[in-house]
Amino acid sequence: MYKYDHIDQTLVDQRVIQFQNQVERRLNGTLAEEEFRPLRLQNGLYHQRHAYMLRIAIPYGLLSSKQLRTLAFIADKYDRGYGHFTTRQNIQFNWVELEKTPDILAELAKVEMHAIQTSGNCIRNITSDAFAGVAADEYVDPRPICELLRQWSTLHPEFAHLPRKFKFAINGAKEDRTVLLCHDVGIELKKNPAINNGELTADIYAGGGMGRTPILGSLIKQGLPWQVLPSYLTALLRVYNRFGRRDNLYKARIKILVKALGPEEFARQVEGEWANFHNEAKQSKDNFTQAEWERVAKHFTKPNYKDLTELSDEQLQSHADSKLNASEKIGFTRWLERNVKPHQVPGYASVILSLKPHGTAAPGDATSAQMNAIADLADQYSFGELRVTHEQNLVLADVEQMELLNLWRAAKNYNLVLPNIGLLTDIIACPGGDFCSLANAKSLPIAKAIQERFDDLDYLHDLGDITLNISGCINSCGHHHVGNIGVLGVDKDGEEWYQITLGGDQGNDASIGKVIGPSFYANEIPDVMTSLINTYVEQRTADEPFIDTYRRLGVAPFKEAAYRNNGKHSKESSKGAIA
Amino acid sequence: MNKQIISFPKDGKPSLIPNRWQVWDGEHDEGGIPDLEHGMHKVLVPFHWWITHYKNPDIIHRANQGEIGVWFAADDDILKHTDIIEAGKSLWPVVGAHFPIFRDGRSFSTAALLRGRFDWQGEVRAIGDVLIDQLLQGARVGFDTFELRADQNLDVALKQFDLFSVVTQNSWRDQRATIAAS
Repeated sequence: MYKYDHIDQTLVDQRVIQFQNQVERRLNGTLAEEEFRPLRLQNGLYHQRHAYMLRIAIPYGLLSSKQLRTLAFIADKYDRGYGHFTTRQNIQFNWVELEKTPDILAELAKVEMHAIQTSGNCIRNITSDAFAGVAADEYVDPRPICELLRQWSTLHPEFAHLPRKFKFAINGAKEDRTVLLCHDVGIELKKNPAINNGELTADIYAGGGMGRTPILGSLIKQGLPWQVLPSYLTALLRVYNRFGRRDNLYKARIKILVKALGPEEFARQVEGEWANFHNEAKQSKDNFTQAEWERVAKHFTKPNYKDLTELSDEQLQSHADSKLNASEKIGFTRWLERNVKPHQVPGYASVILSLKPHGTAAPGDATSAQMNAIADLADQYSFGELRVTHEQNLVLADVEQMELLNLWRAAKNYNLVLPNIGLLTDIIACPGGDFCSLANAKSLPIAKAIQERFDDLDYLHDLGDITLNISGCINSCGHHHVGNIGVLGVDKDGEEWYQITLGGDQGNDASIGKVIGPSFYANEIPDVMTSLINTYVEQRTADEPFIDTYRRLGVAPFKEAAYRNNGKHSKESSKGAIA
Repeated sequence: MNKQIISFPKDGKPSLIPNRWQVWDGEHDEGGIPDLEHGMHKVLVPFHWWITHYKNPDIIHRANQGEIGVWFAADDDILKHTDIIEAGKSLWPVVGAHFPIFRDGRSFSTAALLRGRFDWQGEVRAIGDVLIDQLLQGARVGFDTFELRADQNLDVALKQFDLFSVVTQNSWRDQRATIAAS
């Protein structure tokens, strides 16, 4: 993975000093809270319901075991012994003290980490495919471009006070694992022999986002040579910085500008701006050079893989069978099926450690003991590296197939092997009203109640792939819009209600879910889920995933079932209002 | 207006200098530039005011004496008035770009356009709600003088420019360190 050189290290060290100074001015009263707010946000520091929360960047989801141990150390020393992995490849600590944050940042800087631009109206942490560099369906390893753009966007002077936050996602595989189209800018990397001599190019999607107005991004540029990304993105962001709305917080994202202008007009304006950079005299200075590529890309070479023979699932199973008792066999088989993913290199696999135990911890939470254990597992089984997925799980990307059984046993001790990846209980959830001061409603108790209701792994495996995403408010940090089933917390007259959407999807067929009707009380949600799932089970054809059944039948049978037995306590449903 | 401003020439060091320019908000327009404070002859007028008054012989005369500059509001689209700005290059000793509130970043792009697109060689001054923690960004995109909000501590302000010895993207003032390292 990427290693800082003196430039990167100097920058984060000096950033710590800058923030120390800003905190001092805040504490001695010379910097007002309102003016400190954007400064602390651009260093990932939120003021939450109970305390400060610090969000730390895990650029494009890549983490070393050493870094994870530092996160465990921070959890113990400065927080309450755990951290929360987010949907955007960050980790959050919920109980930090303002006075201590410069010390935490200094600890992070020692292991080449930071909290720069993890919040605020600036270019946020760039996210990518958690399986970058190892996925069997990858055509371009996106990490060098991610890192080049991380550097380009870090402390970018022109875009420090955009109308609103700005999120990049970068994908280079056949399957989109980045929710590319729900980002302000989505960059799809390609190598096409017909374009740019088969060199790396980028297709640019703009104006996607979730929140109050979920919109999928529009393709505004195709076949952009990778070298010109800085000037093109500067042009794009400049158009947004100048013309994005600043009069209304809810209309300030780039998606509103792109929608208002139309994608073609937006693309034309960007092109017009870009034409002024992209000329013979200037482009030579702004463009990424081959030398810069090499400075970064040399860190993303393949690890020292052994020359191994690829094992089939059957071979793996039979290898393990003799060493497992009957109940272990079921668990291991399911784990192979759900939590182990194919790899580019014969004899290797990628393993997803589930941070979604049924009802015993919030989705994405890991204790310091788990973090230390995972760091050890990474060292022992996966070249000392791991990744964070946008579904809030962790990945050991380079595990020898023959070691899978040993890894499973070791990880089992830390409650990390629940075979529920991609299943109903692999819930994406924001911290919600338990922590977040923006939230209208709690999300964690809803996740817990659903996980407890659907605790039967046989049943879950039979249901197969279903995504269930929960957000505590319309800011959509739990990505409810793209869950096959989405749950959104809403506030009605001071009470917490939950709105259900169906039909959302991430990946190559990304779509935004549709609201099925009036909201429900919290205690109705498990029954509503049962009604929705029963409808699916009754209506599905053999092996048909939930999303396909929904697309085939539409919302009607699901809606009918959800309200037939539920929603009776709902004030709205008795009035017949639509939420 | 502040008696002192920060001057940070592109190839120089930051320092405090006397403020010679008064920023006129363009309001209470009684047919021309209002009387200035005693001893002050130089004024930054709103760009939108300039557009409607620059053919006035009195204004031309004052401008030819080097006593008039313009300032751009955050919502001025300077690319819609390229002819006027090109002509202004030989008339205005100073242009300003205004921050209506510190967290409004539009004037960063205005300054970048003035330097990059218009090749403006003269002074570009940050005015309005300019706070200590905008100085670094402002200096990089193209500002070389700063009239800070009156309550800002100028000693603390002057120290901001030394905070970083490396940058990782090009700007008006500096080239990314990463290119030299590659």
